Amino acid sequence: MADVFTVLADPTRRQMLDFLRDGERAVNELVDEVDIEQSGVSRHLRIMREAGLVSVHRDAQRRLYSVEPEPLRELDVWLEDYRQLWEESFEKLDAHLERRKQEE
Amino acid sequence: MPDDHTEPETTTTTAEAPSESPEIIITRLFDAPPKLVFEAFTDADVLGEWWGPNGFTTTTKSFDFRPGGTWDFIMHGADGTDYPNYIRFREIVESERIVFDHGSSPDEDLFKSTITFEARGERTLLTIRQVYPTIEARDQAVEEYGAVEGGKQTLARLAQYLENGERA
Repeated sequence: MADVFTVLADPTRRQMLDFLRDGERAVNELVDEVDIEQSGVSRHLRIMREAGLVSVHRDAQRRLYSVEPEPLRELDVWLEDYRQLWEESFEKLDAHLERRKQEE
Repeated sequence: MPDDHTEPETTTTTAEAPSESPEIIITRLFDAPPKLVFEAFTDADVLGEWWGPNGFTTTTKSFDFRPGGTWDFIMHGADGTDYPNYIRFREIVESERIVFDHGSSPDEDLFKSTITFEARGERTLLTIRQVYPTIEARDQAVEEYGAVEGGKQTLARLAQYLENGERA
């Protein structure tokens, strides 16, 4: 299974997810939105479903897709680690600036 | 995280990775005027004091702080891994702005950084905007530096905690 980063690296898939944020949509609506063929849309949907980013349910004759936010939390965690690395540098910079202010 | 990343009220680091553009934006408020914060970027010895996460040390091979000049240095990770870094300064406006290309060697630019220093009363808002060639490259960079290195440190801290906890 592709991880959430790989899945989101594709611009068409990001466009589809953005579109689904407004509410659930059928495949043909997604095809109209992203302007690629239905087979391509279906393939992207399958990849996103396997990564847990979208879910599908049946409504009469239609299959409706919606966003599943849980994997996006992974992105927050990932950015939090990155933020933490800078925060560590900045705390050392704080200490340096305190010393400089006392010198001035 | 405040809605407007340019106006943090406390000295908390924010990091954003917009989904629609290949950037990372880091902000932090410092309790010193822009002149002093800017100066901390202009001297290799001073940079060596603070640049890099906890446990990292920096060895500078050369440092030439002027437009077109370079900073060639190695970051030594807490686990002994060496990370070669190569920065080429593009634009320098004293106490206001530093623009540079950042990579691991002269032949490899990974991203472009713009650092701005803005007065906020007696304090300084520092903004670091890193622009990558693609969203994929951006995500990979954060995944590598953030998740791998940060994750390693987190695991190391956890291991330490568990060891100490068991001894206590």
